[in-house]
Amino acid sequence: MTDKDTTVISRTVTRIVVPLILLLAIALLLQGHNLPGGGFIAGVLTVAAFALIYIIFGLSYLEEELLHRRPESSLDVIQPRIVEDYRGMFATGLILAAGSGIVAMTVGFPFLTQAVLFVYDVPIYHEIELASALVFDLGVYFVVVGALLTILGVVGAE
Amino acid sequence: MSGVVAATSAPAPDTQALLAVLALPFIGAALVPVVYRALGERTAYYAAAIALFCFALVATQYGRVGAVTIPWIPELGVSLTLYVDGLSLLIGFLASGVGVLILTYSGGYMHGEPGQAKYYASLLAFMGSMLGVAFAADLIALFVFWELTSISSFMLIGHYQRKRSSQYAARKSMIITVAGGLFMLIGFLLLHALSAGAIGEATFTLVGTEGAMIENADAMNEALRSSGLLVPVIALIGVGAAAKSAQVPLHIWLPNAMEAPTPVSAFLHSATMVKAGVYLVGRFRPLLVGDEWMLIFATLGLITMTVAALLAVGATDIKELLAYSTASHLGLIIAGFGFANELGAETGAFHILNHAVFKAALFLVAGIIAHEAGTRLISDLGGLRKDLPIVAGITAVAALGMAGFPPFNGFYSKELLFEAAYEVAAHAGGLWWVFPAVAVFGSIFTFLYSIKFLSLFFGDKPDGLGEVHSPPWTMLAPPLLLAGIALVISISPQTAIDTIVQSVFESAIPAHGPGEEVHHMTIGLPTKLKPAVIMSAITIAVGAVAWPFYDRLHAGVNALTDVKYLRANWYYDNAVYGLTSASQLSMPQVQTGLVRTYVTWALAAVSVLALSAYLAAGAALPAFTGIGLGIPIVLVLLVAVVGAVAVSIAPSHIAGVLTLSILGFMVAVFFVLANAPDLALTQLVIETLVLVIFLLVLDKLPAYYGTARRAVAARDAVLSAVVGATVFLTVLLSTAATPDDPIYTYFIERAGIPEEHGPLLVDYGGGGNIVNVILVDFRAFDTMGEIAVVAMAALSVLTLIAMRGRGERG
Repeated sequence: MTDKDTTVISRTVTRIVVPLILLLAIALLLQGHNLPGGGFIAGVLTVAAFALIYIIFGLSYLEEELLHRRPESSLDVIQPRIVEDYRGMFATGLILAAGSGIVAMTVGFPFLTQAVLFVYDVPIYHEIELASALVFDLGVYFVVVGALLTILGVVGAE
Repeated sequence: MSGVVAATSAPAPDTQALLAVLALPFIGAALVPVVYRALGERTAYYAAAIALFCFALVATQYGRVGAVTIPWIPELGVSLTLYVDGLSLLIGFLASGVGVLILTYSGGYMHGEPGQAKYYASLLAFMGSMLGVAFAADLIALFVFWELTSISSFMLIGHYQRKRSSQYAARKSMIITVAGGLFMLIGFLLLHALSAGAIGEATFTLVGTEGAMIENADAMNEALRSSGLLVPVIALIGVGAAAKSAQVPLHIWLPNAMEAPTPVSAFLHSATMVKAGVYLVGRFRPLLVGDEWMLIFATLGLITMTVAALLAVGATDIKELLAYSTASHLGLIIAGFGFANELGAETGAFHILNHAVFKAALFLVAGIIAHEAGTRLISDLGGLRKDLPIVAGITAVAALGMAGFPPFNGFYSKELLFEAAYEVAAHAGGLWWVFPAVAVFGSIFTFLYSIKFLSLFFGDKPDGLGEVHSPPWTMLAPPLLLAGIALVISISPQTAIDTIVQSVFESAIPAHGPGEEVHHMTIGLPTKLKPAVIMSAITIAVGAVAWPFYDRLHAGVNALTDVKYLRANWYYDNAVYGLTSASQLSMPQVQTGLVRTYVTWALAAVSVLALSAYLAAGAALPAFTGIGLGIPIVLVLLVAVVGAVAVSIAPSHIAGVLTLSILGFMVAVFFVLANAPDLALTQLVIETLVLVIFLLVLDKLPAYYGTARRAVAARDAVLSAVVGATVFLTVLLSTAATPDDPIYTYFIERAGIPEEHGPLLVDYGGGGNIVNVILVDFRAFDTMGEIAVVAMAALSVLTLIAMRGRGERG
C-alpha cells in the first residue's frame, strides 16, 4: 500500500480524527471502573487509530515522519523497527498486570487482590476514589495495544 | 456387622515399617544408576540386599492384622490405606522373598548382558509396585500400584529393546494388562458410587476400617444386587484380574512375555505379577462371593486351567511350556477362589503358595538350561541328569509338585480343588457336575506336561547337545532354596498351613463375628477313600496311560492351534494391526495440510460429540414461551439475519466483508438495546478494527471467489447447518437452566461501593461498571490469562511471519 492511493480528504480527516480517537481511548480507559470502557476497549480503539494512519499514510510514515527514523538496513523493511517498540509495549503491559497482583501478595493478600482507596479533601474533586484495578487495566491496555499493533505492523509490512 | 475377628485380637501393623517397605524399592531403584557406576555388575547384590531388607520388614508385620491410613487426597476421599492380613503378607513375602532370590540369580545370569542399570532399576520398581498392590487397601492406591506393575513389566519384557519380538511382546502385555486395569477401575468406581448409599459414606477403602467395604459386605451386597450392578462389577473386576493373571482368552501375552530375561519370567510371570490378578480375586472374594461369583470365576478358572494345560502340551520351548503351565495353574487358583464354599478358599490360598514355590524354581531351572545348554527347544534337550545332577533333583521335586503327584506340594492343593468342585456338584447336581469333570480333564494334561519337563533330565542325550556346564552358585542356590521349601511343604503341609495359609484362607472368606469359630484347615495325605482321592487316581492313571502318546497329543494340539480362528492371538493381531492400518488410511483424509480440512474435521467432530451428548443425556428442549423481546430488537435481529444471508451469497470479497460488518454492527445495536453498553462498545470497536484489517488484506486477494465443486459445496452446506443447529441447541439448553443461587447476585452485591465504608476497601470492587469490575477484580486472573494469550498470539505472528526466511531451515 502506498500513500499515492489516498485522497486529500481522507488524509485531512485522519489528521483531525486520530487525536480525537486517542483522547477518547484514554477517557474510556480512565472511566472504565464506573462507566462503560476499560483497558480492552481503550486498547482496541487506540489500535484502530493507528490502523487508520497505516491505511491512509502507509506503514513507513509513522516511523519516518513522526519518529524521524530512517531505515538503516534491509531488514528494517521486512520487519519495521517500530515493531520492537510494540513488543516492548506488550511486555510492559504483562509486567504491569502481573506486578499489580504481586503487590497484593507482598501485603499478605492472594495474588491479584484489588483494593480501593478513598482520598478526601482534594481540591475541586473533594473526594477521589483510587482503584488499584486501574493499574491492572493499564496493563491490559498496553498488552492489547502492543500485541495488536505488532500483528498489524508485521502483517501490514507483508 | 462386625469386623474381622483377628482385627480385635492381633496387634496392629506398624505404619513406619509398612511405609518403608513401599518406599525402599523405589528409592533403591532411583539410586541404581549411581550405584551401578560404583559397583558395576555387583549391583545385583545391592538390589538383593534391598529386597532382603524389605522381606525382613514384611516379616516384622507377621501375625499382625489391621489397617493404617495415611491421608493422600482427602478432598476426594482417597487415602494411602495399607492393610495387613494373611493374604497381603503372603503376596508381600512372595514379592520380596522371591525378589531376593531372583536378584541374586540375576547376578549370575545377567553377566555381560546390556542395559543392566535399567534392568535392576525396573526390577526394584516392579517389586515396590507389587508390594504396593499387596498392601494397598484403598482402591485408587491399589489401581495406581496395579498399573505401575504393568508399566515396570513393560520395561522388563522389552529389555532387549532392539529386538522386534521383544517390542511386540512388551507392547502386547502392556496393552492387555493396562486395558484390563482400566476395566477394573470402572468396577472400583461403581463400588465407590454404591458405597455412598450402602455404608452411608462414600469410601474407596476396601478393607480394614469401620466404614470399609468388606467390613460392610452385607450392605454392599444388598446395594449391588438391588441396583443390578452385582454381575457388572464382578465382570469388570474379573476382566482386570483375568488380564493380569493371564486367563483365557487374555492369556496370550504371557507366552510372548517370555522374551524377557529368564529371571524376569521367573519373578513376574510365575511368582508375582501374574499373582496380582489372583490376589485381587481373593481379596474381593469376601465382598462379592455368591452364585454369580462362582459361575463367573469357577468357569473362567477351569477353562483357563484346561485350555492352557493343552497349550502347554503343544509347546516346543521350555519357557513356553512353563508360561502356559503358569496360566493353567493361575486358572486353578482362580477356580478355587471361585467356588463359593470354604474348600474353594482353601484351594486358592494354598495353591498361591505352592505354585509360586515350584514354578519360580522351574523357571530358574529353565534359565539354567538355556544358559548352559544354549537351547530352549524341548526336542533338542534330554539326558541332562548326568551333567546337572543337582538341577535334576530340584526339577524332580518342583515338577512332581506341579504335576500334583502325591506327596508333593501341588498334590494337596489340587486335592482341595477336586473336593471343592465335587462338593459343589454333589450339592447342586445337574450341570454343576461339569466342574469336577473339567477339573480332572485339565489335571490330566497338567500331569502330562509336568512329566515332559522332568523327562528332559532322563533318557539319552540328543546328538546335537554338547557338554553342559554346571551353573555358578549364584544361579544354583536360589532354585535349590525354593525346591527345599517345596520339599518342606510336601513333607509337612500342615506346617505351611499353620504358618501362613490359614490366615490367607481367613482373608478370603466372608467376615465372621468375634464369637464364631473359624474353620481350621487340616491337610495331610488322605487316609480314607474320598471322592477327591478317586479323582486324583483317575488323573494319574489316565496320565500314565496317555504318556506314550505324548508326541501325538503334542502334534494334535499344534494342528488345532494352526487353525487361525482358534487362536486368540489371531484376533489380537488383527485388531491391533487393523487399527494401525485404519489409522494410516485415515491420515490423508484428516491431515491434508489445508486449514479448511482441519476446520471441517474439528467443527464436525465437536458438533457430533455435543449433539450425541445431548441425545445421551436425554436433554429436552425448553418449552417455547413466546418472544419476550421488544419490536426494536426483533427488527435489528431481522436485519442481522438479512446480513448473514447476504454474506453467504456475496459475489466478491469486498461485498462479503461489508455485509459481514452489517451483521456485526447489528449485533452491537442489539447490545445497546439490551442494556449492555460495555459489550456494544467492544463490539463496535472490534468490528471497525476487523473491517480495517480485512481491507488491508483484501488488497492481496483475488477479487472473486471461484465456483466450488458441487460435492464440496454440499458438504459445506451440511456442515454449516449442523454447526448452526448445535450452537442453537446449546444456547437454548444452556440458557434454559435457572439456578436457585445465581452467581451474579454476588457480583451485584460486591461490585459497587457499600453505603458505609472506610478509606480502604478490599472486599468490594468499588466500581460502578460491574463488567469492568469483574474483569479487573473478581476475575482478574482470567483476564491475566487472556492478555497472556493475546501477547502469545502476537509473538507467534512475529515468529511465523517476521522470522520466515531467516534461515533455520529444518
